[in-house]
Amino acid sequence: MIRKATVSAIALIATLASATADDATQIQWWHGMGGKNQEVINEISKRFNAAQSACALTPVSKGTYEEALASGIAAFRSGEQPNILQVFDAGAATIMNAPGATIPAEDLIKNAGYDFDREAFINGVRYFYADADGKFVGMPFNSSAPIMYTNTEAFEKAGVAPPETWEEFEEIAPKLKEAGYIPMTASQLTWMFFENFFSRNNIQMATNGNGYDSVEGTEINATDPNLVMMFEKLKEWHDEGLFGFYGAGWSDNQAPFEQNKVAMWIGSSGSFGGLQQTAEMPFSATFLPYWDGIEGAGTNSFIGGAALYAMAGHDEAQDKCTADFFQFLTSPDVQVFWHEETGYVPITNAAYEQAKAEGWYEQKPVAEVGIQQLSLPGGEWSKGYRLGFYPQIRSVEEREFNRIFSGETSVQDAFETIKEEGDALLARFAKTSG
Amino acid sequence: MAEISDTSVIGGRFRRKPRAAAAPAEPAKRVQFDRPLLPWVFLAPQLLVVAIFFYWPSVQAVTSSFYIEDPFGFGATFVGLENYADALTSSEYHRVARFTAIFTVAVTALSLGLGLLLAVKADAVIRGASSYKTLLIAVYAIAPPVAGLIGMMFFDMHIGPFVTAASWVGWDMQVGIDYFDTAFAMIAVAVWKQIPYNFIFFLSGLQSVPVPVREAAVIDCRSGWRRFRTVTLPLLAPTAFFLLIINITYALFDTFGIIDVMLKDKPANNPVTLVYKVYNDGFRGNDIGGSSAQSVILMAVVFALTLVQFRFLEKRIHYS
Amino acid sequence: MHRTRPLDHAILILGALFLMLPVIIAFTTSTHTAAEIHSGGLTLVPGNNFAETYGTVLTQKGGFTGQVTGARMLMNSMILGLGFALGKIAFSMLAAYGLVYFRSRYATLLFWIIFTTLLLPLEVRIVPSFQVMADLGLINTYPGLIVPLLASATGTFYFRQFFKSVPDELLEAARIDGAGPVKFFFDILVPLSRTMIAAMFIIMFVYGWNQYLWPMLMTTDEGMFTLMRGIKSILQVWVGSQIPEYNQAFALAVLAMVPPVAVVVIFQRWFIKGLTESDK
Repeated sequence: MIRKATVSAIALIATLASATADDATQIQWWHGMGGKNQEVINEISKRFNAAQSACALTPVSKGTYEEALASGIAAFRSGEQPNILQVFDAGAATIMNAPGATIPAEDLIKNAGYDFDREAFINGVRYFYADADGKFVGMPFNSSAPIMYTNTEAFEKAGVAPPETWEEFEEIAPKLKEAGYIPMTASQLTWMFFENFFSRNNIQMATNGNGYDSVEGTEINATDPNLVMMFEKLKEWHDEGLFGFYGAGWSDNQAPFEQNKVAMWIGSSGSFGGLQQTAEMPFSATFLPYWDGIEGAGTNSFIGGAALYAMAGHDEAQDKCTADFFQFLTSPDVQVFWHEETGYVPITNAAYEQAKAEGWYEQKPVAEVGIQQLSLPGGEWSKGYRLGFYPQIRSVEEREFNRIFSGETSVQDAFETIKEEGDALLARFAKTSG
Repeated sequence: MAEISDTSVIGGRFRRKPRAAAAPAEPAKRVQFDRPLLPWVFLAPQLLVVAIFFYWPSVQAVTSSFYIEDPFGFGATFVGLENYADALTSSEYHRVARFTAIFTVAVTALSLGLGLLLAVKADAVIRGASSYKTLLIAVYAIAPPVAGLIGMMFFDMHIGPFVTAASWVGWDMQVGIDYFDTAFAMIAVAVWKQIPYNFIFFLSGLQSVPVPVREAAVIDCRSGWRRFRTVTLPLLAPTAFFLLIINITYALFDTFGIIDVMLKDKPANNPVTLVYKVYNDGFRGNDIGGSSAQSVILMAVVFALTLVQFRFLEKRIHYS
Repeated sequence: MHRTRPLDHAILILGALFLMLPVIIAFTTSTHTAAEIHSGGLTLVPGNNFAETYGTVLTQKGGFTGQVTGARMLMNSMILGLGFALGKIAFSMLAAYGLVYFRSRYATLLFWIIFTTLLLPLEVRIVPSFQVMADLGLINTYPGLIVPLLASATGTFYFRQFFKSVPDELLEAARIDGAGPVKFFFDILVPLSRTMIAAMFIIMFVYGWNQYLWPMLMTTDEGMFTLMRGIKSILQVWVGSQIPEYNQAFALAVLAMVPPVAVVVIFQRWFIKGLTESDK
């Protein structure tokens, strides 16, 4: 309650301040978020504008992640780009392979006279948006992890504990089914069972060091036997009624969990805020399972979500403002506010510590699962991936996954198609740099 | 302007069409003004807008189709016809093209057919005619995304009433997973949205048939179906021709909003049309060269199609 | 003249139900609370949340600047619809006149130049179009929203059809009276096209009103957002992982439907009459 009051007081001041700050340097931030997340983004921007008078930030929603990136690209080509563009995980290669389009976040912040400490960021985000030398190109912003939400009632009824590994899942799933539940559903299989299958089980996702070393000749490891095995299993579970699949739409797979029909749902750590309001039963969460049988498995997951990029081509005063905002954004107070309001993980160690100290996780243990999973020991292949045209490769994956579950294709054929089309897209992307 | 509207000067400048026209095409009118410059004045605004906002971007699209380009415009590799070859040899592209053809035929045929049926019936009844008209026309105004939104809700696998209804007859409808079911839902929504449009045009076509013609027809042909075929249909021909073109363009292009919303951002294995694929690859997938090549192919096909229609159909139609 | 048969009525009633039922259900559903819809699904029974939902949608200040109210979006949609309809009618009438009433060796070529625009919709040339708009400095302006949409042949096509069906005797009579092309156009053809113009107005208003992809790309200023964009952003919440405000989505959908439906229903007599004259 107290926080709410403070927030609205700040908002009021912010409104008054922005009304008078006409001579402030104007900067724009384009993002791809809607609903509650957008409100929190607006709130953060208001706080930034209230905290200083030299810069005035305006956030603009440009639709979905894909639409935000496409709008940013179209704008850049016309010289109308915003100062800050939010780009989602799958689009990272697109923007990072166009070095002239952005100013690396680290350079921007240092040029503005601030210190930049890579170590201040939590493990899981340090590599994903950085170049091969570890320099931060993107500014991590809304970061999330794929975690498994568990229906407390269902597990009590079946008398079992949530699984840590897929082997355990196979043991308990029939009991959950007997108890009258669909044992598991998952949203966005591409993120849960493709990208993060590689990270959680520490398997190489693509040649050239998961694409970090070079764009030339990068190939995707889509026919990895373990990956194929995972989907053979999923298909088997699906046919036995142990895994429910409702298409590629995110909410179609989330809804039955909310309605207490499903025992486990794999979603985003960022789904927590929404679930609190829509789930009809008590729930908890645990890590995304891995295969105990795979050697070296159980590593941390890739960071998901999106990062902010400072677009090139603006004057010094504006770049300074962008740097100021990045500084503001990574301050523990703002990070904790963002984390607690949206369910995205805090990206700095200081913010994580502060949230702990405030007792947030005692109140909401589920909120800590995402960051704990990201802080697990890393493996060689759990740091990140950098693949061009990856949004399109994801579309191919989605298409083939749907075909697997509708029985149009076999698992092996599906992954051969993904590899073939994925490699062709990667080869095309290599040509874009001309 | 004053000079042009000086009637005494212009009065004599009419010209009857010579019997053997030198012009390659049939002039639109038997009588026309013969002023070489004036039509350009009238056409100028439209031509200007078309040049700037259609041809300029289109030329850029054609140019891009020969390159593989960095989305941000930093680098580009000239690849000749590779983008075209890639599209035309891809099995996915064939699949999409096949669906587009089926979708276009189904949507055009169903919405023209149902629109015509309802128009004929609405023209026939007297009692309640205006209420029917109002009810049948109202949906015309609905935006494609709104139609998509409503369709999405009705075919929602968790709360959709149509899905429930389908389960009564043993149809386990899975829109979003099952290719056929999704195609069915898309066609249903696209047809639903287009019926009123065709209804309006057919109805006005029917109502413009002069009363004496109708009366004569009733006397000549006792059978309603024969009367419809021999009298009504030929009179509706210009309307039907016009609607055919409009409906094909609708099915190919304007259904974009419906499809976009109904797919909920994830095309996956669901049926999509060529326009959606161009948009998805180019705008959302950032592959400018590939999607430009696709749009050039699309344009060529539609152009050929339209040319055929004008050549073979419009000639058989008598205006006025 | 005709004997009314029950079958005719049955077909019409079925047709009307098929077309109208989804709209009615969208409305009744919008009068429930989001939670009710979430658990109960769509319903034909009206709820008692009408005033609250619509009040919220129309007046709630959304967005960062607080300019994005339903009323504001309504106004922008109205400007887009009206501006597009009027611009389209003016441009295409002039163009069709130039094509039909003048003897020109280029007439066929010009017709095809304009007609080709039907072949490639804005969606597939959206990125280059955006660049053109940016070069012209028209981003975030009403002309920027409206003018590129005018580059399409539909209106010219309609008016061409209509002019072709106007009796030649009119022009001959005008010639005898000594009327020139401009006078003929404004004094005879425009009044004659009155109902056709009304029909075109309806068609084009609806078309402009219903645009969504272009306005989304073109506007970054929240004060310029249209209703379709509002619906799109609610949809995004829906398909994303957040809680959908089903009731507000449907209320916005209903609001987005009301003005064009009203235009169509109110002007339907003109509408049919206008098209009737064209197809004589």
